[in-house]
Amino acid sequence: MIWRIASFAVAAGFVGLWQLIANLKLISPVFLPGPDRAWAALMRGFATGDLTSKLVGTLEHMAYGWLAASVAGIALGALIGSSRLMRIYIAPSLEFLRPLPVSAIIPVAIAMLGLTQGMALFVIAFGAIWPIMLATIHGFAAVEPRLYEVARALQMSRPAIVFKIALPSALPDILAGMRLSLTVALILSVVCEVLAGLDGLGHWVLLSARAFRSADLFAGVILLGATGYVTSIAMSLAERRLLAWQSTR
Amino acid sequence: MTVLARLDEAKAARQQKPLITFNGATLRLGGKTIIENLDLEVRPGEFLCIVGASGCGKTTALRLAAGLYRPTGGAVTFDGQPMLEPRREVAIVFQDYGKALLPWRTAAGNISLALEACGIPVRERPDRIAELLRKVGLPAHAEKYPAEMSGGMQQRLQIARCLAQEPTTLLMDEPFGALDAMTRQGLQDEVLSLTAASNTTVVFVTHDLDEAIYLGDRVIGLLPHPGRIGIELDVNLPRPRDQLATREHPEFLRLRRQLFDFIKATEH
Ligand SMILES: Nc1ncnc2c1ncn2[C@@H]1O[C@H](COP(=O)(O)OP(=O)(O)OP(=O)(O)O)[C@@H](O)[C@H]1O
Ligand SMILES: [Mg+2]
Repeated sequence: MIWRIASFAVAAGFVGLWQLIANLKLISPVFLPGPDRAWAALMRGFATGDLTSKLVGTLEHMAYGWLAASVAGIALGALIGSSRLMRIYIAPSLEFLRPLPVSAIIPVAIAMLGLTQGMALFVIAFGAIWPIMLATIHGFAAVEPRLYEVARALQMSRPAIVFKIALPSALPDILAGMRLSLTVALILSVVCEVLAGLDGLGHWVLLSARAFRSADLFAGVILLGATGYVTSIAMSLAERRLLAWQSTR
Repeated sequence: MTVLARLDEAKAARQQKPLITFNGATLRLGGKTIIENLDLEVRPGEFLCIVGASGCGKTTALRLAAGLYRPTGGAVTFDGQPMLEPRREVAIVFQDYGKALLPWRTAAGNISLALEACGIPVRERPDRIAELLRKVGLPAHAEKYPAEMSGGMQQRLQIARCLAQEPTTLLMDEPFGALDAMTRQGLQDEVLSLTAASNTTVVFVTHDLDEAIYLGDRVIGLLPHPGRIGIELDVNLPRPRDQLATREHPEFLRLRRQLFDFIKATEH
């Protein structure tokens, strides 16, 4: 409780400082609006619906990319993680691909798919898949071997073993990977919107900056920050629900 | 039941076809012979205890009987057929109950795992689960996670899950090794009454000689490097066994002495 009050006070302090700098015009108002003007721009954006549609656009890019990355990452990770042979053969290729910055594949994606939603989806999913896939591989590789013997003694089918033993056992790792990917997906959504001019907050921020509408620019940035914050909180809540059994340890 | 009737019954059982047979079973793992030329017959309904020094191959022998290992020589058969894979009528109680239970499922959920594997319809499961929890003395703990239970309770839960497969045979590997003396004695008596009621065949591995004699119809002592049978004792103590009376019985003390000397001779 004390911590929450303290962190709230720090945040309020930053906003106050920001207002002070803006009021004293230490930085030209053309570049730095005060929090009051940024807030007004935010409210105006919601009132006209302009900002709302941009927010929805970004949320869509992020969600589709992240979900695609989750499905593919968990499936591939499960496949690789549950077989020692697969790990031996595939792990080196993964180590080669993983450090590849996603920015490096953006030109490739644009060349192949054009400045389209499909390109954005591919880039976001490609960037967001790594934390999920690697966490899933680790989670599947770390399943208690005794549990597999229990499954053998019960003559459980392969799908039953995956869904009742391996997947729940790897779930804490998988969720941690999905949480990391959430941030990656948001960043890449903005990057793709800027590069491809797709409808979204990234595009809004870019246009506002070009037109020197600094209040609108800041409204967009605030909204991006809020998006990251809220999705991460939603993820923690989901984690806490799904991993309720861990809290009893 | 008189002692004589009991002996007659034992004689009749001896003439029955064995349920588990080790026929010159040999197991080599990583270039090492762990079990060599093991001949052993377990009769239906028998309570067989296996003792031996640490590392002599007790667990390995049990895993052969379970079908978790295949013999590299000779044969292990169950009910006349080669035991190549585990089967549902043979349940295994592992020593490390903490690892053998699903930590993300409650007590009821862990028992349900076996019922699901056996294809018990959903609507029959709650009654079966309640019945099994009652049998092992955990009726009030259905919604607890394993981490919320004591060691004794977790081992009870694992036994309940094994009973849920309705096994004809229970293979138990030092199931009470990690429990305190009081919990241990309570569980010994529970296992005896549970298996006697359903006429379950039991192969029970332990390093506790008293426990082996107290529980068993027969006790086998293994010799190490490689594992083979060194001694075989029939336990003709009256049943039901009693923690005080049985352990003070002259026959119990005689067997204890014999087994103790054997184990001491194997440990130089
Ligand atoms: N997978 C394996 N590969 C190679 N050697 C093994 C393997 N499993 C067991 N052994 C060896 O086989 C021997 C018997 O092991 P086992 O676990 O059956 O002994 P145990 O009688 O159960 O001992 P304890 O009383 O300590 O449980 C030991 O020397 C052990 O080192
Ligand atoms: Mg052992």
